[in-house]
Amino acid sequence: MAYVRRRIGGALLVLVLAFIAAYILLAALPGDAVLARYGNPDLGLTAAQLAEIRAAYGADRPQLVQFFETAGSFLRGDLGYSIQSGAAVSALLAEALPSTLTLAALGLVSAVALAVAIAITATHPGLRGHRAARALRNLLRGLPPLMVSLPVFWIGIVLIQVFSFQLGLVPVLNAGPIESLILPVATLAIPIAAPLAQVLIRSIDEVLAQPFVSVARARGATNTWLLSRTVARNAVLPALTMAGLLFGELVGGAVVTEAVFGRMGVGQLTAQAVAARDTPVLLAVVVISTVVFVLINLVVDLLYPVLDARLRRSDAAAPTRRAAVAVR
Amino acid sequence: MSAQTLTPSGAPAGSGAPARAPRLSALRPGVVLSALVLLTALAWALLPGVFTAQSPTASVGASLQAPSAEFWFGTDATGRDVFARVVHGASHSITAAVVAVAVGLVVGTTLGVIAGSVGGFVEEALMRLVDMLLAIPGLLLSLSVVILLGFGTTNAAIAVGITSIATFARLSRSRVISVRRSEYVEAAFGSGGTLPAILWRHILPNSAAPVIALAALQLGSAILQISTLGFLGYGAPPPTPEWGLLIAEGRDYVATAWWLTLLPGLVVAAVVLATNRLSSAIGQGESA
Amino acid sequence: MPSVSRRSALALGLGLPALMTLASCGNGSSGSDGAAAGEPQQGGTLTYLEPQTWTTLYPPAGGFYPNGGLINNLTDRLLYQNPETLALEPWIATALPEVNEDATEYTFTLREGASYSDGTLIDAENVVKNFDLYGIGDPERALTVSEAINNYDHGEVVDATTVKFFFSAPSPGFPQAVSTINSGLLSSATLDRSGEQFGPGNAADLIASGPFVVSAEEIGTQITLAVREDYDWAPASLGHEGRAYLDEIVYLVASESSVRVGTVTSNQAHIARQIDAPDEAQFEADGLVLYAAPTNGVNNSLSFRFRDPALEDIATRQALIAAIDRQAIVDTLFTANYPLATGALGAKALGYVDTSEHYAHDPALAATLLDEAGWVAGADGTRAKDGAPLTLTFNEALPQPRSREVVTLIQEQLAELGIDVQLLPGDQATQDAARAEPGKVQVYHSMVARSDYDVIKSQFSSDNRNALLNGHPDGTVGDEELDALFAQIASTPDEEGRAEASAAAQAHLAEQALILPLFEEPQVYGHVDAVQGFSTESVARPSFYDTWLAG
Repeated sequence: MAYVRRRIGGALLVLVLAFIAAYILLAALPGDAVLARYGNPDLGLTAAQLAEIRAAYGADRPQLVQFFETAGSFLRGDLGYSIQSGAAVSALLAEALPSTLTLAALGLVSAVALAVAIAITATHPGLRGHRAARALRNLLRGLPPLMVSLPVFWIGIVLIQVFSFQLGLVPVLNAGPIESLILPVATLAIPIAAPLAQVLIRSIDEVLAQPFVSVARARGATNTWLLSRTVARNAVLPALTMAGLLFGELVGGAVVTEAVFGRMGVGQLTAQAVAARDTPVLLAVVVISTVVFVLINLVVDLLYPVLDARLRRSDAAAPTRRAAVAVR
Repeated sequence: MSAQTLTPSGAPAGSGAPARAPRLSALRPGVVLSALVLLTALAWALLPGVFTAQSPTASVGASLQAPSAEFWFGTDATGRDVFARVVHGASHSITAAVVAVAVGLVVGTTLGVIAGSVGGFVEEALMRLVDMLLAIPGLLLSLSVVILLGFGTTNAAIAVGITSIATFARLSRSRVISVRRSEYVEAAFGSGGTLPAILWRHILPNSAAPVIALAALQLGSAILQISTLGFLGYGAPPPTPEWGLLIAEGRDYVATAWWLTLLPGLVVAAVVLATNRLSSAIGQGESA
Repeated sequence: MPSVSRRSALALGLGLPALMTLASCGNGSSGSDGAAAGEPQQGGTLTYLEPQTWTTLYPPAGGFYPNGGLINNLTDRLLYQNPETLALEPWIATALPEVNEDATEYTFTLREGASYSDGTLIDAENVVKNFDLYGIGDPERALTVSEAINNYDHGEVVDATTVKFFFSAPSPGFPQAVSTINSGLLSSATLDRSGEQFGPGNAADLIASGPFVVSAEEIGTQITLAVREDYDWAPASLGHEGRAYLDEIVYLVASESSVRVGTVTSNQAHIARQIDAPDEAQFEADGLVLYAAPTNGVNNSLSFRFRDPALEDIATRQALIAAIDRQAIVDTLFTANYPLATGALGAKALGYVDTSEHYAHDPALAATLLDEAGWVAGADGTRAKDGAPLTLTFNEALPQPRSREVVTLIQEQLAELGIDVQLLPGDQATQDAARAEPGKVQVYHSMVARSDYDVIKSQFSSDNRNALLNGHPDGTVGDEELDALFAQIASTPDEEGRAEASAAAQAHLAEQALILPLFEEPQVYGHVDAVQGFSTESVARPSFYDTWLAG
């Protein structure tokens, strides 16, 4: 229980730190939300009219006063209104969050599936023998770096051009809920799968190079058995760390996909709010993403000891030896 | 493009390799090719004038011409030679990628290794700081940093680098912890080794592989992230011929002038692949 | 062994451009050509693509095109400005207003029977309430005053169908102002809302009297308008009476230009706004139509901020005008839909005067003028005077087409004469903050769309957009005469007087070399040919009342 309490304390600390850091960062940017909205030449307001509006928003008060007021209303659960559009921040999030979470979750699942498929095929010992097989192996190993060497927006635009506009397979805008997810999920999954596959391949290689594997193989263990039992279990740890990290990135980083596919999501919301210096929206995004991040990490951390026996310090037996013993 | 020009020279070099000692198996054609790709990129960065006579910032012909013998990569929306822009862009992009990775690697790994090996309160404090960095969406962080520092290639690189600090820190910490708890490190502690010595002798070398893999990947992805900043309108001001920006600015022409994004994109892909190939070869060489 | 993988990687790489070439040639697959115009058909849902999402439906803040594109189809106005002739015609008012001698009192008679979509009538009390808000604003509720209404004092209900507006000074632009989307009429309950309540998430609760009403909204991505069956008060000069032809209009946001274009060319949507010049060619294919509407206001132009030390000398400004090759810019970046500007205003704009003789391209003259002004070429080629280099910062006009590329070309052209051009990088908020601060931007790239004589005042007067930064934040004004000329346009009661005042202001701008007009900026729409009867209002916002879908 002490562990859980410490974890929650840590999480709250992170939340407070992130909130303060984000507020300072946003306050330091040139221009503010009121200016961004009402200083736009399209409105043709005079300097005096602008000053009146600023006073109405309280944007002319000292930063510290504004900070405590904002922090206070957040504590009361009041996220406030977007200054740019006047929409309630909670309404904006209610619209953006489910869309992004769906996209991110599907993207991550597809990415993991893709990464595992690539990694297992690329490290499959069966691919060491034949010349063509080895070529395939090298091609697969070259795939992850290739996948991250294409900008996401470019992948998205090309996927749309080819699959939607030219081949007419999937509509982009104005499509059903499932159809409209196909290309965005693919766009998101490709670059996310790459680092995962990379880490998986490295880890599997490392494990395969360890002595117990040859011992196991010498004793007649099949490749599939080896992969699923020992290798995968050892390799999944760093991959899981990566995945935990990446999900947070996905939530905020879906911006490009959302921009290309005209989806409303947290990423898009963030990018627009930064351009508009829309502090209430941005602080809410920071709070939400911190909560999501803390939760995901809690899950990953709790799974750590389960997955890596080496962390169970009470267990004296080293994993290498145990694995070797297990083979017998 | 560079991959194509290098193919003939790559093949003969490769055929000689297997005859050497097994230790040199790293010198396979792929590695030689990768080295040549990187050397070409470096040469572009250092001596762009040797590779193209055209100015990267001046209109040299009609706009949006397809690739031809005169303009290898065609011309862009204002009639500039795309090949010249790619060649001159090498220095911007390579510097930017190196700066970005350096920021993330140095700061992140330092934090992670200290946290992982010292432990206790220090670890707790550092990791909360890292958590905070991770919790604030990277997008918000990098856009804000660009707006704060001002628009430009180096500032964009720093912004991108900052977002990767946390990733490096967490990865290196998790590696340090798992290496630290392995038998041989415990044995080293048991035989009276000091922390710095063990850190240097055992923990660092054995924690490095995934961090290096990440750094290698990050090199390429830094160029792409800078490109994404360009896509969102936070790139370097014109006429900077930075690679990521070339791709970002050419994207509106995907249907009408594919060469604007595709050819610079292939150059970036070739360089990223080459970096990767070399880093994995170096990794293998070290562990052999 | 790796050579195999290399070759296949190469093949993969080369396959892509081949595919893309195929993609770029394979256009015109939508060649169902038979949708020739015939009798308008009722019904159908039109999909319309906007590059950005709307931000508010408060009419005075509707200048932003995504806002205006909605407000124009949701609201009615007292008067209708015919987009062809720019003449004012009756709409909710049964006739043009009666006006007193010095244009400080306007009396409108309202038509009977026009109602808001919640059933309340458009009566005198409601109309007065509208203009008391639009003419004065309410900073407490963050509701701004309308830029188009000058010198408003108050409105009075004369009887149920007669209203009278009073002004503290002549306000000859008022009749045109009531015809713009900034004066869209709203129900009394809607006018009581706060600024926040005009924002996204509230669209369906905003009650107006137009041919369409908001039926559904998804924040940030789409908004759906449904036809109002009992609508029966369209301006007489429109193609038909009664309800609009379309049943529904779906506005979708598609910010990526290539996606917007591709969605229409592949027949997945009907019409898109903001087709970039390089994409226009794609609409030459069968089954596709390009629609370029003039914006009838101040042209897309460069304003030289003459109070900045670098541009104080008229010779320097004249040198810039002579050095910049506008024709090359238009030829390189734009199409025939972007005609070279011949003066401060668009050729169809009210009060237009041709001042093109002031804008001749002559690099040799430019060099001479720069020498005369004391700018001497330094070691690095950049000219300098008293040790200060001739460095000019241009803003990036983010809403304007290809501003970045325009400045890039100018950068190149001016570099040849030893003038260093910098583009102020940054998003809209950064640009807006820098715009009003002396010393940040020397050359300001912008345009304004509004078809009234007042538009030139809106753009340049120091109490409006202040494009020349004639007025500094400390309250000082550099060129009082210029401000007086603009004030004249907005306060002369009669039409001829206003035209003369406008001509005088344009002459002053040209003679003092204060601006360089680049081109007449259109709004370019691309649509499939099933869309019939599409038109735009006087500054090119879409009007869907007469639009119908064939086939």
